[in-house]
Amino acid sequence: MGWRKSLVLLISVVFVLGFVFGALAQEGASELEIQTANAAFEAADKGNPDPAWKGQKLTIAVYSAGPRGAISGPLYFWRPYFEKLTGATYDIVEIPFGELREKIFTDLMTGTGTYDIIVGPSWFYGDYIMNDWIVPAQEFFNDPRMPKWEPESIALPVRELYMWGDKLVGFNNDHDGQVIYYRRDILSDPKWQEEFKKEKGKDMPTPPWTWEEVYEICDFFNGKDWNGDGEPDYGISMHLKVGGQGFFHFMALSAPYVVSPAPGDNPAKVTRYHNVYWFDPETMEPLVNTPGFVEALNMLIKLSKTGPSAMFGWSLGEAWDAFLRGKAVMCWSWGDVGSLAQLPDRSSIKGRLGVAPIPGSDKYYDLETKQWVNKKNFVANTVGASWHGVISKYCKNKELAAYFLSWQATPQINHWNVVWGWTGVDPGTSYDFLQPSGKATIEEYVATGYDAEDARQFVTAYEEMWTKYPLRQTYLRIPGTPEMWEVYDIHLSEAVTGQVSPEEALNRIAEEWKAIVERYGKDTLKKIYQEAIGYKPE
Amino acid sequence: MRRRLREKGNAFVIPAIFWVLTFTIFPLVYSFRVSLSKVLYGKLAGFAGASNYLRMFGDYRFWGTLRFTLILVLISVCATTAIGLGLAVVFNRKMKGLRVFRSILTMPLFTAPVALGYLGVMMFYEENGPINVLLKYLGMGKVPWLSHPLWATLAICLVDIWQWTPFAFIILLAGLQSISDEIYEAAVIDTSSGWAIFRHITLPLLSPVLGTVIMLRMVDAFKAFDIPFSLTSGGPGTATRTLTFYIYTQGLRNFDLGYASAMAYFLLAITMVIGLLFFRRYRELYE
Repeated sequence: MGWRKSLVLLISVVFVLGFVFGALAQEGASELEIQTANAAFEAADKGNPDPAWKGQKLTIAVYSAGPRGAISGPLYFWRPYFEKLTGATYDIVEIPFGELREKIFTDLMTGTGTYDIIVGPSWFYGDYIMNDWIVPAQEFFNDPRMPKWEPESIALPVRELYMWGDKLVGFNNDHDGQVIYYRRDILSDPKWQEEFKKEKGKDMPTPPWTWEEVYEICDFFNGKDWNGDGEPDYGISMHLKVGGQGFFHFMALSAPYVVSPAPGDNPAKVTRYHNVYWFDPETMEPLVNTPGFVEALNMLIKLSKTGPSAMFGWSLGEAWDAFLRGKAVMCWSWGDVGSLAQLPDRSSIKGRLGVAPIPGSDKYYDLETKQWVNKKNFVANTVGASWHGVISKYCKNKELAAYFLSWQATPQINHWNVVWGWTGVDPGTSYDFLQPSGKATIEEYVATGYDAEDARQFVTAYEEMWTKYPLRQTYLRIPGTPEMWEVYDIHLSEAVTGQVSPEEALNRIAEEWKAIVERYGKDTLKKIYQEAIGYKPE
Repeated sequence: MRRRLREKGNAFVIPAIFWVLTFTIFPLVYSFRVSLSKVLYGKLAGFAGASNYLRMFGDYRFWGTLRFTLILVLISVCATTAIGLGLAVVFNRKMKGLRVFRSILTMPLFTAPVALGYLGVMMFYEENGPINVLLKYLGMGKVPWLSHPLWATLAICLVDIWQWTPFAFIILLAGLQSISDEIYEAAVIDTSSGWAIFRHITLPLLSPVLGTVIMLRMVDAFKAFDIPFSLTSGGPGTATRTLTFYIYTQGLRNFDLGYASAMAYFLLAITMVIGLLFFRRYRELYE
């Protein structure tokens, strides 16, 4: 055999093996997953699929995490069921996180229409709405062909992300928000509690309810060998690399220092000075350099000193790993940590996880009186993406797209995605929350590999934050949001790495945000901002 | 007959002219127009005059990225040329296994820069990455390669030098091999100092090649993008963000194409000045 033939043969073998392993990777589901998915499929409403859809194909854009990865994974998993149901199919286009905006917006700006469905982040909404790029979910809600799903089951702060005004625009899927995770076994250990009392002169607050308490605990544990591996361990674990989504940490942390309750009967009412976080809704002046933010950034910097210095170069995965491998006593993050903690190949802390709603602050800055108020303040957050599907206005078969997304949004399918943590779909509906206030049972979580107490704390923390916290942080949904967040990310990184002072970093953010607002048009943005946060000028 | 042939010959040039007009001149002219416009969501939204160019002067991020780019150019070009020259001198002789060494040395050059950047993430990983583990064995402390502005700058430079030294090595080795042995044989009669021979014979004869290497490396280093993008994402803060990275962010992520085009023209001007200086020097040497 000549060398050319050998080369061709070798390449062919490599290709064949590639396809075989690729196919196997997609079929990595366990028997239990298949059984429970079949049950969910049978139980879910299927509407009345139109026979005309047979043989048609959709294209779905989603952030790239692979066939068993977060958010993109369920699309691969449910595709055969969708094909069985409708006779139609879909292609999945995975886009790296950093390229989502350029790929998706270019497609929409040019009207190319490559993507029929975009499973994207909520921070794209300002641009979607301003340019009329998407078809609202509301238009299909009462179509008899569509499977029935329950928007009212979604916790209110998250539901608001799926809506624009009183109109439903996105289809239920993921529910993001940050809560605090800690080592239940360590914080409840009498030996450590005693040492804490000796060192700090007070009882260890378990769980911590304010950022000041979080700092005290992390400061106490940082540098001590509390996991018994012979090496000093850390207090906190964060991801603070530019582009590593670290700014979400700051969003969640700063909210209770910045968001103040409205006077009167309804503390959650959005006024010019209350329950606002991003801009003054009357002037579009950024609030990011007000004293509340400065105080919060100082706290973030203080906290960052209770973890490894490498955190400044860490992305999500590395920060989660430090906590999941038992090197950090605490972290605050999305629901992914709760589910990843249950996976034996990723975590050594299953059965030792403590979860509490996001901490509050001991004081907050009142933007109206320009005074600090020394009172505890708790603010629920929906920071993150809450990845969910929207239909592009250039979609060639909008009804088929709506059918797919409605079917995925049904309680049975959505809840299946939530209980199987690898999907990256986080809990946030009444059917994810535990009985008696919710509809789920602890057994549903245990059946998929959760430790019962871990699951109880995990799901309850989210439920408490979204249903019991008096205030909630508004979400930025105006044109230019991704650009504003990039600016936020960069300058926060400058502050935490000591390149500039916290005040200077926040002033830089404010200046750049002002320029972005001017570029997009202040009046246009003001109108959209007011709509997005539910502010009504008086 | 001759005229007809000349006309036929001209016809053969048309595809080349078409190519240059379509893929070089038109984008250049169009991007200049864009640089004078306000652009929103990829659409020209009115004439902006010189405001995009003036914006550069007041933009501290622009100056910050330019400063980092200049640092990278300076360190990387000097180091790759010096190391490349040293290696070329070492390998410019008959020795066993020469071909194998040369092949191994040139391998990083054929690797995608973005892949080297991601490899760098692993190599420079602060918690038990191979480089920090090695330093630990040598009794040194943990180096914050990716989390401290100065160290991150060094990490970017090291990866860039790693990739581009083979380029300098190959070209300079070819240059050394083109120098006649007879010149060296004559020089040996006058001096036994290797340094004197290198200083007065090798270096002057190699200088045109050296100049080419330096110019090409400078132009390339000014356009550095992939390694900072994949290794540090331009951070911490904007400490390792190059000008090309900033142009990319403004143009393709934020769709602020007017400003991005203006900055791209600035970068073009820098590289053109370098090119012009080089060719002027080249002419002086050979005319």
